[in-house]
Amino acid sequence: MAGAVSIRGLAKEFGTRRVLDGLDLEIAPGEFVALLGRSGCGKSTLLRILAGLDAEVEGAFSVPDKVSMAFQQPRLLPWRRVWRNISLGLHGVDGRAVAEKALAEVRLESHADAWPLTLSGGEAQRVSLARALVREPELLLLDEPFGALDALTRSAMHRLVEQLWREHRPSVLFVTHDVDEALLLADRVVVLEAGRIVAEHRVDLPRPRRRASFVDLRVEVLADLGVDDVEAA
Amino acid sequence: MSISTAGVVARPETVATSRAPAEKQSGKQRRNRSGRPRGRPDVARWLSPVGLVLLWQAASSAGVLPPDKLASPLTVFVSGYELVLDGSLVDAFLVSSSRVAVGFVLGTLVGGALGLASGLSRWGERLLDPPVQMLRTLPHLGLIPLFILWFGIGEEPKLALVAAGVAFPLYLNLHAGIRQADPALLEAARVLGFSRFERIAHVVLPSAVPQTLVGLRIALGTAWLSLIVGEQINADAGIGFLINNAREFLRTDVVVVGLAVYALLGLTTDALVRGLERRVLRWRAR
Repeated sequence: MAGAVSIRGLAKEFGTRRVLDGLDLEIAPGEFVALLGRSGCGKSTLLRILAGLDAEVEGAFSVPDKVSMAFQQPRLLPWRRVWRNISLGLHGVDGRAVAEKALAEVRLESHADAWPLTLSGGEAQRVSLARALVREPELLLLDEPFGALDALTRSAMHRLVEQLWREHRPSVLFVTHDVDEALLLADRVVVLEAGRIVAEHRVDLPRPRRRASFVDLRVEVLADLGVDDVEAA
Repeated sequence: MSISTAGVVARPETVATSRAPAEKQSGKQRRNRSGRPRGRPDVARWLSPVGLVLLWQAASSAGVLPPDKLASPLTVFVSGYELVLDGSLVDAFLVSSSRVAVGFVLGTLVGGALGLASGLSRWGERLLDPPVQMLRTLPHLGLIPLFILWFGIGEEPKLALVAAGVAFPLYLNLHAGIRQADPALLEAARVLGFSRFERIAHVVLPSAVPQTLVGLRIALGTAWLSLIVGEQINADAGIGFLINNAREFLRTDVVVVGLAVYALLGLTTDALVRGLERRVLRWRAR
């Protein structure tokens, strides 16, 4: 089915270190899944594999044809103007028009001709999102895209991502180590530890969500991550 | 530090909340370390060069500096003017410039082609890089005897010398620049569906540009140096000929004029590259 992801017994070794160890995960079309885990648990490795950046793996997985990704750093080409950054790599379309439309969606239409190095961190990350979405992905991979942003920019980005996801309806695999972020956005939260999924929570809450609405769930997820959250309890 | 932020437009909210310090700041920003406004030349820096020239003139006028060792600045200036008027300086200038131009183009083609081939292809690097790295340890000016044997004493050895001086620095910097391409950007390009051609055209080559421009500047410097040395070989035209001819008649004034023209040409081409740099690298944050 378009947009569906199926992963069975995926394993990956770097030298003697087994980063992914028999990982199973299904993502339904249009589903927003957040992948939580501590640093070094294999989150980013999984995304890289799904993005086709790492082919040497054991096990089986299938992803849609159209996969797109936004990275922790925006990774814009500094020597190409913002609109070119968005349209480069697209073929058979009017790049400028497509880029302008995408920029309007992330509310940066006035920055089409700017150089990327003149953008703030949040703006650059929005361009990076626009660049990922303009490819009309069936699967959107987000690798801690808000990790380097300040708290205010972050929460604006959360709303933006949610809105864009509703409009375009790609399946999303969102890697983060921020429990609140995961619970705000995802249909389902999965916890990765030592290379496999160790816990899974469905988040059946109306959107847009408030932090107050998932206080108990937050404690549970934190417990799965091995954190006794005294503050939240 | 204050200079680097001078071009950045202050955000409205910053200006509104702290107007007084901002103004004080911007007043500071327009001045550099020596405290003069930007864009206006620092007159104090001209004191010692002008003083030296005056000293030189004084020494010549007093007879301390004989004209057959070094002509006075005034004589040099007058001779330069006469050489321009009778056309011989212009002819020499054109001959020398075209030698550098042709040699530079040849060297750029060779250095550029080799640099691209070994930068963009693994096999190209395996095959081309070792011999080029070995050859570059040779001082290329030392090749003159061979070049004379191969090409005679006409234009060819001069052009070959300039070309060799250009090709090596360009090759080295282009190759290094291509190899320095950021893997994170290349990875992003792959995920975003860039073709191999697009990855090269939009990621690899642009990221090699700054380093290549450094190579270009070095190459131009070497080109002029090679020309000056090359023109010592039996030149019958050009600035080197003008200088050598003047030496035979102890015309130190003409020798100095020739040297000044070399210096001006070098400065001019360097300024051209810097202008090119400003244009090509305008994406860099100011």
